[in-house]
Amino acid sequence: MKTIDGLLLDPVGCLAEFPPGPFHEIAVRLFGRKGKASASGSRSYWHLLNLMEAAEIPLKGERRKIAEALEAEAVAGASIYEDVLPVLAELRTMGIRPFIASSLSRTSITTLVQRCSLGEFLSGVWTRDDGGVKIAPLLAALGGASLPADQAMYLTDTVEGIKVARSAGVHPILMMNDPDEARRLATHNPAGGVVSLHEIPDFIRLIAAQNKSRAE
Amino acid sequence: MKKISIYRPSTVDEAIQILSQHGSEAGVYAGGTDLLIRLKNRLHQAPTYLVDIKKIDHLRFIQEDAQGGVEIGAATKLAELADSRLLQDKYPMLVEAVNKISSPELRNASTLGGDLLQEVWCQYLRGGYSCWRNGGYLCYGAIGDNSYYHSAMGGRLCYAVYPGDAATALIPFDARAKLATPQGVKELSIEQLVPGDMLVDGRIQSHVVRFNEILTSVVIPPPKPGVRASFEKLRPRGVWDFAMASLAISLQLRDKTIDDARVVFGGIAGKPYRETSVETFLKGKTLSADLGEQAISVALANAAPLKYNATKIGMAKGLLASGLARLNA
Repeated sequence: MKTIDGLLLDPVGCLAEFPPGPFHEIAVRLFGRKGKASASGSRSYWHLLNLMEAAEIPLKGERRKIAEALEAEAVAGASIYEDVLPVLAELRTMGIRPFIASSLSRTSITTLVQRCSLGEFLSGVWTRDDGGVKIAPLLAALGGASLPADQAMYLTDTVEGIKVARSAGVHPILMMNDPDEARRLATHNPAGGVVSLHEIPDFIRLIAAQNKSRAE
Repeated sequence: MKKISIYRPSTVDEAIQILSQHGSEAGVYAGGTDLLIRLKNRLHQAPTYLVDIKKIDHLRFIQEDAQGGVEIGAATKLAELADSRLLQDKYPMLVEAVNKISSPELRNASTLGGDLLQEVWCQYLRGGYSCWRNGGYLCYGAIGDNSYYHSAMGGRLCYAVYPGDAATALIPFDARAKLATPQGVKELSIEQLVPGDMLVDGRIQSHVVRFNEILTSVVIPPPKPGVRASFEKLRPRGVWDFAMASLAISLQLRDKTIDDARVVFGGIAGKPYRETSVETFLKGKTLSADLGEQAISVALANAAPLKYNATKIGMAKGLLASGLARLNA
């Protein structure tokens, strides 16, 4: 793995625990999805993104208002992981650039960033308003920040997240929040995995040290 | 097993030169009970060049120093420690701990240095999984079966427990390690020697010894007056198993009053886990039958067990109670 320069973060699943209900409700109301919501906010979110991607047409007018209103509920109900701010601060001292690359709307991300005081630690924000969902915000972030894909990590706790990162050429790093789910996801060939966000700075240091050691 | 080359230097300086020349491709070879298994397990970090230090003089000895302490050469066999009258007289708890390491056959081959610096025995690492210590970037122990070989006290990328017993037993004596380095001799406390998962020379390892450094000896200060010590170890079988939990405890007593205490748990964390909150709690207390129950209440408050290993914390607390009871007997 090349020495890491930047970190792509979707708040859902790697910065905060989101309630699944609002994402499921968007899927039900806008895409006619049936059944119960997943127990996991991340999985509900990625199910919704799959539906949004399959629809191909960006949300507009009333549909957009409904989606953003429900996303605002999700953001209001999100609880940020306790190690997020110290880790972002540490990454800043290491010269690593953290970016938001999210399929949430810009409005939702702006609210979340303000609510959780993330702004001062972020090097940039890309959302679905920058070209679409899933891989689009990652590609927009890579291009916008002139960040080589092979020097970037994307943190995720879903199979879809792993696949999207691979498609973008970014290293998918598994957030192993739930050991049973992580064991299943580990079979999908992530580039690495961390038990909690506080391990990310050490992960990046280890790669840098390994590359330095090889160069010597 | 991959092809290896063996060097047999006759001095420590020569050994350091060879290690420096080959970088992390080389490794120190003494007892071989860990190193050769790493090679057989085809571990990513197993060395290609073995630097056999068994022929080097002054690495295999147990001798009393002028202050009444004892220095032990790093290449001294564990069986020699177990049989040492000098150690039995001065540090019986250390001998008790050494006698609980592995099996008699392995103690005849294993060295003190090897026990202190051994690689972890996580079944995923040894089974060839591409984990943090084996060329990968994920701890399978954290998400798999972690009931035995993994930390119940949190981790730093790798969640394997530090497996050695000697370090756990040496810390209560304030023992120090001597390292030969290209820059000269370096001395560290045992806690500094094995601080848990460290990034050293681009690797994750439990100790801080760099690729071109050699642990040469361990120095134990003279026994303090009034010290009573005990080593307890719980393992699935009575022999040839690593600790599910262990405890080395020493109390410096004035009559029944505890003037000073050392409490070190093994088998529950990525390092020998010195429990200073219990040490602080014990100081000034009277050694009594109910002290164990009280000590348990302040022990291991920072426990962070994985899915299957919370039982280790219960075991460790039980050892604390039984250790204190034993010292009170």
